[in-house]
Amino acid sequence: MKSLLTKAIQVRELSIILLMVIYFLFVGSINSEFTSADTIVLLLNGSIILLILAIGQSFVLLTSNIDVSVGSIMGLSAAVCGTLLTSGANLGFVICIVICVGAGIGLINGIGVSYLKVPAIIMTLGMLGVVRGIMLLYTKGMWIEDIPNYYKKFARLEVWSIPLPIWIGALLIFISYLFLSKTKFGRYFYAVGDNADGAELVGLPVNIVKVLAYILSGISASIASLIYVMNIGFVTNQTGSGIELQVIAAAVLGGVSLSGGIGSVVGAGLGAIFFTVINSSLVYMKMPAYWNSAISGLLLLLIVVGDSQFQKRLKRGAHKNLKKLSQKKITLEESEHEKQTKALT
Amino acid sequence: MKSKLKRLLKWELFLFVFLIGELLFFSMLTPGFLNLQNLLFSMNDFAYIGLAAIPMTFVIITGGIDVSVGSIMGLASITIGVLWMGGLNVWIALIIALFICALAGLLNGLIVAFTDVQPLVVTLGTMFLFAGIALVISGGSSATGYEGISGFPNSFVQIANGITFGLPNSMWLMLFILLFFGGLLHLTKYGRNVYLVGINSKAAKYSGIATKWIVLSTYILAGLGGGISGAILTSYFSSARSDLGTQAILPVITAVVLGGTSILGGRGTVLGTAIASIVVGMMNYGLQLSGMPSEQTTIVVGVMLIVAVLMRQIDLSYVKKLFYKKKVPRTKMVIKI
Repeated sequence: MKSLLTKAIQVRELSIILLMVIYFLFVGSINSEFTSADTIVLLLNGSIILLILAIGQSFVLLTSNIDVSVGSIMGLSAAVCGTLLTSGANLGFVICIVICVGAGIGLINGIGVSYLKVPAIIMTLGMLGVVRGIMLLYTKGMWIEDIPNYYKKFARLEVWSIPLPIWIGALLIFISYLFLSKTKFGRYFYAVGDNADGAELVGLPVNIVKVLAYILSGISASIASLIYVMNIGFVTNQTGSGIELQVIAAAVLGGVSLSGGIGSVVGAGLGAIFFTVINSSLVYMKMPAYWNSAISGLLLLLIVVGDSQFQKRLKRGAHKNLKKLSQKKITLEESEHEKQTKALT
Repeated sequence: MKSKLKRLLKWELFLFVFLIGELLFFSMLTPGFLNLQNLLFSMNDFAYIGLAAIPMTFVIITGGIDVSVGSIMGLASITIGVLWMGGLNVWIALIIALFICALAGLLNGLIVAFTDVQPLVVTLGTMFLFAGIALVISGGSSATGYEGISGFPNSFVQIANGITFGLPNSMWLMLFILLFFGGLLHLTKYGRNVYLVGINSKAAKYSGIATKWIVLSTYILAGLGGGISGAILTSYFSSARSDLGTQAILPVITAVVLGGTSILGGRGTVLGTAIASIVVGMMNYGLQLSGMPSEQTTIVVGVMLIVAVLMRQIDLSYVKKLFYKKKVPRTKMVIKI
């Protein structure tokens, strides 16, 4: 039983689900409304933007880089999406352009990090400022309102009583899960993150993988912005600001390691949902909303530190087992040696 | 000759030249910019960047990073405000706030030094935590978050806005912080240990340095720096708000990195950070004077950050070779004669 539990904690996806269920039951015991199906759909719907951003971010994190510019990319994409839609452009055209914006900025990030060798945090922190500034130049600091109604209606479109954004999020997770775990190129992301030099020596296209990771992160920010505009119906000039840190927090919560090579998109998605659940639960517990970031910060720290201590202990345990095994071997060999010498004499 | 060239190509000197170029550029954009009084008092506008960036240099030299410093600024500000509103003397409130910020840094340092979690993740978590605590303090004291607490006594407002010996107070403070932290980093054994931990933590450990305590202490310094910075901002605006430092992290890290500190650790100077924070601050100030909205200046700061790192990456030995190729034959000829 104990080994089953340790195994469940080892697989991060399971442990995060376990934690989430415990948290749900805890909040549900205070306010039973929290565990109703309606609330769960509402929570899922609210977490979709973070979830999509977390998918893109985990590609970058897997290659042991980081992308803090996603919030700004999302802001600029949302602004482009808003202005194009209000000017009456064709929906397919709008989606193409918006995704191109994200992919283009991702490409710049990727080239800076891989070919020009700028440290990832510096490159994307710089781009965070640059892209935010460009967005404000583009919108002249104004809000974009009057998004056409047909576009806003997509958010309320339901298939089997589940809103469209949730389907998009689920589809994206499914595709990227298949890509990362079942295709050869997908495995390259893990190889590059685990040991970039080794991957280079083996002949993997390390730089291309890194650039692609940033492009995917940019595209995910664009898709998130499309859903943001759909859900909210207007674009403020602060759209997406500060969300980059929530995204990284969500991915880390879901078990994606910042040092690369460890984690999965499913974990990152679950982390995003858990992060949203924590943030929304306070209302149901009748606590003032200003407790939000204090509690989510505290929980993030507790989970991350707890996990690292747990992994440490696991490793130590493994070491002890190895030592025991090797000692057994030595004593066995010694006894055999003694036997042999006895036989000889 | 070699040492002279080395000195010439030093990053700090380059930054200084860049700063002068920047001043000339802005004086062309806005006539009357190049007025000593104006320049000196613009320091009040951005002294907070340097005050937070100089201690942050220590953290980055050890190979860490502290993104929670913006939240610590807000925490300092709101603590001063709430304690003062509660009837405490504003100076005692200031000291308590600085102490709390040092404690916040201690928490960062403890987690970074004694667990395997990366500094970015730790300070990301504490960033939420400290910002949240600041909000809770401000919300709990029924001070509305966005208006803040104002009406501080004049002596407190004078910290950032007053003049001593003809120079603005914030300049004196910056100078004091520069000398203090510069001395600590470049003249003491502690400072050398900080470098050593950043260059090779394992080697430092095996040579008997208490690496964990060195790392821990740098985060305390960064927390304290955030506190001082937040206090100065509070004094400058003469209002205490919990969200004062939310936009500060980009300019602070830009100042440290532009100042020549390697984000990978082991390299950097306090002087570089100080000059770079003036470069960044002047850039913001100048652009705003020439009519650019303050939000859009982030474009320039962001580009500066990336280009600075790119320039550090380009091997300066190439430039040196250019100089040497001219010199070397001449000396040979002299020897032959």
